[in-house]
Amino acid sequence: MLSSINSRAIVPVACAVTGFVIACCVLLFTFVKADLIRGEVQHAADLADTVIKSTRYAMLHDDRATLSNIISSIGEQKQVEHVRIFNKKGLIMFSPDQAELNNFIDKSAAGCNECHAEEKPKNRLGTMAQARQYTNKKGKDVLAITAPIYNETECSNATCHFHTSEQSLLGTLDIGVSQDPLKQTLGQLQNRMIVFSGMILILTVGAVCALLYRQVFLPIKQLADFTEAPVNDRLSDELPEVSGDIARLAKSFQEMTDRVHELEAKASSGQKDAS
Amino acid sequence: MSQVQSKPEGQPFPGRENLRLRIEARIRKLERASGNGLWSMVCFLLVSFAAYKGFSFLPELSVEMRRLLGAPPPAEMISLALVVYAFSGIVRTLARMSRNIKPYLGLMHAAFFTAFYLFYHLSGALQDNFWAVFFAGISVMGLENYYLWTHSNAALHKERELLESMQEKSTDE
Repeated sequence: MLSSINSRAIVPVACAVTGFVIACCVLLFTFVKADLIRGEVQHAADLADTVIKSTRYAMLHDDRATLSNIISSIGEQKQVEHVRIFNKKGLIMFSPDQAELNNFIDKSAAGCNECHAEEKPKNRLGTMAQARQYTNKKGKDVLAITAPIYNETECSNATCHFHTSEQSLLGTLDIGVSQDPLKQTLGQLQNRMIVFSGMILILTVGAVCALLYRQVFLPIKQLADFTEAPVNDRLSDELPEVSGDIARLAKSFQEMTDRVHELEAKASSGQKDAS
Repeated sequence: MSQVQSKPEGQPFPGRENLRLRIEARIRKLERASGNGLWSMVCFLLVSFAAYKGFSFLPELSVEMRRLLGAPPPAEMISLALVVYAFSGIVRTLARMSRNIKPYLGLMHAAFFTAFYLFYHLSGALQDNFWAVFFAGISVMGLENYYLWTHSNAALHKERELLESMQEKSTDE
């Protein structure tokens, strides 16, 4: 009976708490991961914007040597996996990687097909749609941003080159940053959450088990031992200290045993009187 | 005062026989109910296995079909709904346990968790959220099935005792 009470009380609590805590932790981790990735995308978009703004002057003056130099310097940064500027036709014009210069990029590749999926390419995309995650040839996870370089009044009015005011897009900057720091942060977060959830589970289930044992199972066991003992032994024993509803039960039982004691005493004195 | 029912030699009382048949039918029903809980759990585990594989056996939804279905709900909203559903499911089961109300068979929960898998799949967020649905499902359905199992076992125990006492009485007579 006791084992049945044990299992009936502890199994549902352990099952409900464990499952729910794990499910919530997984969801929380997914939320945090999505937030971190969103932040990383925003950071990469800001970086791309900074690059475009930094190269604007060189572009306006058709200063290709300075532009190439800026792109090469950015490409040397540790976290930057690639950086390239290609024109509207997809021809790579500037890149620190000399091998890909003057090659066409694949318009069906991830990062390009968001705009080029339909017959008429889209002119504008949101920040999240400009981002793509993939594993590059070196086996590194990369978060890349494609930022369009739009035509401006200064561009079409400039005397140096040939862009007309009808052209809305002049080219695209493609910059990819390594996802290693993000992965490291997510890994640490995951480990900490596993430890934290494990501690919560142990504490919750442990506390429930300890309280149930102390407040319910132990008094019931003591009462059960007391009632199961032979009558003569039982009558001489005092009930152990218990509280709550179990105390009421124990008190009733104690009163009953006292009454039996009295009756026994009366019966034995009656026998003595008779003899 | 009480009327004594006469019966032919060697034959049981017809009323008692009726009662015995009714008890046996109830026992069969309880055994079936206990088994149904397990079936719903098996269904959920099979769907979970399919979801783990990304429902690869299902054909890709065409662009037309996707347009017809409309935009999938955001993954955050599905997650919120999942937390609310799992929490209310656990609380309702615990409340039914404490008030000893008849448990569900769990099939409804299996259907709901399958819907969560499908919504995540359509939103493209199943890979990230698979374990959340799985553990939420295991906890809600495990609790429901545990209650169904203990409830059915207690009722079965009572019915079998009743049947045994009836058989003992009939052998005494």
